[in-house]
Amino acid sequence: MLTFEMLTNIIGIASLLTIITLAMVIISKGERIKQLQGKIATLEKSLNEMDEQAKLIVRTDMELNKTQDELDKKMTGLYALQILSRQISTSLEESQIFKILKETMSFQELGFEKACAFLWDSLEGKFILHTDIGCLEDAAESIKSSVNSDKEKYLGLIKEAKSFSCTASSECADEQFAQEIKESFGVESFIIAPVLPKEGNQGFMLAGTKAKDTVINKGDQELISILANQLGEALENARLFEKTWRAQQELERKVTERTGDLTKALGEVKTISKRKSDFISAVSHELRTPLTSIKGYASILLAGKLGALPAEIRERLDKINRHSDELVHMINELLDIARIESGKVGMKKESLELQGIIIGVIELLSVQAKEKEIDLSYKIAEQAKFVSADREQLKRVFINIVSNAIKFTPPKGKITIQARKIDNMAQLDISDTGYGIPQEAQEAVFEEFYRVDNAINQEIRGTGLGLALVKRIIEAHNGKIWLKSKAGAGSTFSFTLPQTN
Amino acid sequence: MSISVSIGLSTEKNALLAAQLAARQALLNLREPNASLAIVFSSVEFARDEILAAIADIVEPAPIVGCSSLAVISNQGIFKYGILIALFSLPEGIYLNVACSEEIDSKPALEAGRELGDKLLYGFRNIRRDFAVIFSDGLMRDGNGMLEGLQERLGTSFPLLGGSASDDLSFEKTYVYFNRKVSSHGACGILWGGKVNFGLGIRHGWKPLGKPRYITKSAGNIVYEIDGESATNVYEEYFARDLSGLQKDSKKISTLYPIGIYLPEEQGYLLRNITSIEDNGSLVFQGNVPQGSLIRLMIGTNDSCLDATKEALEEAGKNLAQRHVDFLLVFESASRYRILGRQIKEELQLIENKLGKNIPVFGIYTYGEQAPLRAINYQGKAYFHNQTVALLAAGA
Repeated sequence: MLTFEMLTNIIGIASLLTIITLAMVIISKGERIKQLQGKIATLEKSLNEMDEQAKLIVRTDMELNKTQDELDKKMTGLYALQILSRQISTSLEESQIFKILKETMSFQELGFEKACAFLWDSLEGKFILHTDIGCLEDAAESIKSSVNSDKEKYLGLIKEAKSFSCTASSECADEQFAQEIKESFGVESFIIAPVLPKEGNQGFMLAGTKAKDTVINKGDQELISILANQLGEALENARLFEKTWRAQQELERKVTERTGDLTKALGEVKTISKRKSDFISAVSHELRTPLTSIKGYASILLAGKLGALPAEIRERLDKINRHSDELVHMINELLDIARIESGKVGMKKESLELQGIIIGVIELLSVQAKEKEIDLSYKIAEQAKFVSADREQLKRVFINIVSNAIKFTPPKGKITIQARKIDNMAQLDISDTGYGIPQEAQEAVFEEFYRVDNAINQEIRGTGLGLALVKRIIEAHNGKIWLKSKAGAGSTFSFTLPQTN
Repeated sequence: MSISVSIGLSTEKNALLAAQLAARQALLNLREPNASLAIVFSSVEFARDEILAAIADIVEPAPIVGCSSLAVISNQGIFKYGILIALFSLPEGIYLNVACSEEIDSKPALEAGRELGDKLLYGFRNIRRDFAVIFSDGLMRDGNGMLEGLQERLGTSFPLLGGSASDDLSFEKTYVYFNRKVSSHGACGILWGGKVNFGLGIRHGWKPLGKPRYITKSAGNIVYEIDGESATNVYEEYFARDLSGLQKDSKKISTLYPIGIYLPEEQGYLLRNITSIEDNGSLVFQGNVPQGSLIRLMIGTNDSCLDATKEALEEAGKNLAQRHVDFLLVFESASRYRILGRQIKEELQLIENKLGKNIPVFGIYTYGEQAPLRAINYQGKAYFHNQTVALLAAGA
C-alpha cells in the first residue's frame, strides 16, 4: 500500500532527480554555449584576419595595377616609337613623314586622344597644321586660327627649345599660356614639345587629352620629346635629300639644255657645211665650162692652127694654158672634196695590196725625187699588207702626201713610207726630212686653201686643197689622218685604213 | 527566313559625310530595298540633329534608334571616332516597335520608365512580346527607377537588355538618338515580338574580397554609411589612404574595385562603380544601392574580365539553344574598356572565335547595363549593372 509518506518520498526523490537532471542539462548547455561562443569568437577573429589579408591584397593589387599601367604605357610608347622611327627613317618626303606619324603613332594608347603637329612657315609668316589626330575638320580649323593668333608664344617655345606639360590638377610652368593651349586645343592635359630640324622650318608637337584625371609623368614628357626629336630629324633628312635632289635635277636640266644647244649648233654647222659644198660644187661646174673653152682656144692658138704666132704671144698663151690647167685642177679637187663630203662620190672599196700601189706612186714621182736627189723608200709589215680602199683615191692620197714631201724636203733628203698594223687598222706613216710644219699650223694644213706661211710656199705653187681632199678621202674610208712635225726636223703624215685579210 | 542585318561603318573626318557613307554602305548590303529598323551608334562628335536627318533621308522609312558611345564596337574593330549604322530587314512573323521618352530628367525616373513602357506597348496587341532593348542617358541619376517603371509596364521578369549611353569619358553629356532627333536626357527602346529567338548573356568576372558589410544608410545612388561608419572609412581602411588620396585615385578605384551588392534570391553580386567620393564621407555610385544591402568589395583582373566575356558568350549561346544567330548586340561597360586597355581587341577575337566572321557584331561602351543578373533562365528580373559585358544574340 502506498502511504502518503511514501508518495511524498517518491515525489521528493523524483523532483530531486528532475532537479539534478535539469541542473546537469543547464550545466552542459552552458558549456556548449561557452564552446559556441568560443567558436564564434574564433570565427570572428579569422574573419577579421581575413579582412586584414584582403586589405593587403587590395593594396598590393592597386600598386600592381599602377605599375602595370605605367609599364603598359611605356611599352606602348616604345613600341610605337620603334615602328615610327623605322618607317619615318625610310621616308624622304615631308608630307609622307606626317602621314606616317598619323597612321602609325598610337597616341590613344598613350592616353592622348588628340595630337597635332605644326610647322612655322617663314614665307607666309604663320603656323601650318601638318598632322591632326582626333580632331574634326572644323575643330582643326579653329585650332589653326587660335595657334596663329597667338603665334609669338609658340615661336617663343620653339626658340627656347623646351617642352612642357600641364595637367588639369597640377600647377603649370606658364599658367596663362597653358590655359590658352588648353582652350585652343580643347584639352585638359597636354604635353607640348618643339620640333627642331636643323634645316628649314621648325615647329612643335602637342599631345593632349580631355580626361581630367590624367597624370603626366616625366616618362610621358620624355616620350613625346623623343618623338618630336625623331620627327625633327626625319624632316631634316628629308629636306637635305630634297636639296641634294634638287641640285642634281638642276644639273641634269643644265646638261640637257647644253646638249640641246650643242646639237642645234652642230645641225647648223652641218647645214652651213652642206650649203658650202653645194655652193662650191655649183660654182666649180659653172667655172669649168668657160675654162674648158678658154683652154680649148688657147690650145688651138698654140697648135698654130690659126697661123704661126709670134714668140711673145706664144709665151703668153703658154701661161694662159698652164694657169688654166692649174685652175681646172683646182676646180676638180674642189669638186671632189664637195662630192666626197656630200657623199655623192662613193668609195669603190676593194682589197688592195699596198706594195703595188706604193711602188706605182714611187715610180710616178721618181723623176721629181731624183731631181732633188731624195731617197724614196718603203717598208710594209707582214700584217699590214692588204687594205680595203678605193684604188684611185688611195693613189691620190699617196701622190698628194709624197709629192708634198718631195716639195718641202731639201735636196738629198729622205722620204720613207711605212705600213704597220695598229689596233686592227693599217697605219701608214710617210716621213720626210723636210722643213717641218710649225706647231701652230699643224691642225690647219688639212683645211681648204690653207697654206703654211713661209718662204718655201711663196716659191712653190699649190692650191691649198690637196691635204683637204686627202683628209676627206681618208675619212670616207673610216680612217683618220694626222701629222707629227717639228719645224726644221721633218714631218710624218700618218693615216689609217681598214684592213682586209 | 532569317533577320537580315547589314552594317555600315565610317571613320571619315567630315562627320556628315561619314554618316551618309555609313548609311549608304549599310543600305547597299541589305537584303531588302527598305529597312525595318536602323540602329545608330557613334562617338559623341556625331551627336547632332543634322547628322541624324542625313541618315534618315537615306534609310527611311526605317525608324532610327541609337546612342553615343566612347567607342563603337564592330566586327571590323573598335573605333574611338566613328559612326556605325546597322540596318535590319525582318522576315514575316517578326515585329518591332520603337519609342522614346525625352526630358526624362524633368520627371521622376519611375514615371519616365512607365512612359517609355507604355509607348513601347502601344499598338503591340495580340502579338507575342519577346524582349526589349533600351538605350538611355548614361548620366541619369536613377537608372534603377526607370528600370522599375519599365518593368511595371512590360512585366517584372520581362527579358530586357539596356545600355546607358556614354561620352568620351568626360562624363559631361551623353546622347540618345531617335529618328531625326538627338537628346541628352532621353531613353529610347525597341520592343521585339513574334518569332524571334534570342539569348542573353551577362557577366562581370569580379570576385568578392574581404568581410561582408552592410549598407546602414543610403538614398538612391548615394551611400552615407557602411557598418554604421562613414562610407568612405571602409575605402580609407582598405586602401590605406586618406580622403584626398582616395579622391585622387577615384577613377582607378572606381573601375578596379567596385562594390558588389549581394542578391540572395539570385545568389550573385550586382556591381556598382563609384562615380565620386564626396568630401562629407559619402560615396556616389553609378546606380542605386539600397539601404540594408549586404555588400562586398570586388576585385578582378584583365584575365577575369576576358573570362567573363567567354562566359557571357556561352550563356547567350545556351539560351539561344543552338538556334541560328543573325546578329550579336554588345553592351560593354566603359570601365572594362579602361581596364582592358590594349587587350580590348582580344575581346573581339573571343567573339569571332565563338561566332565566326560572318555574324554581324555591333555594340557600344556603356555607363551602365540593364539585364537579368543570371540570364541562364532569361525570365529573370532585369537589374541595373555596372562593369559588365551584356550580350544579346538573336535570330529568326
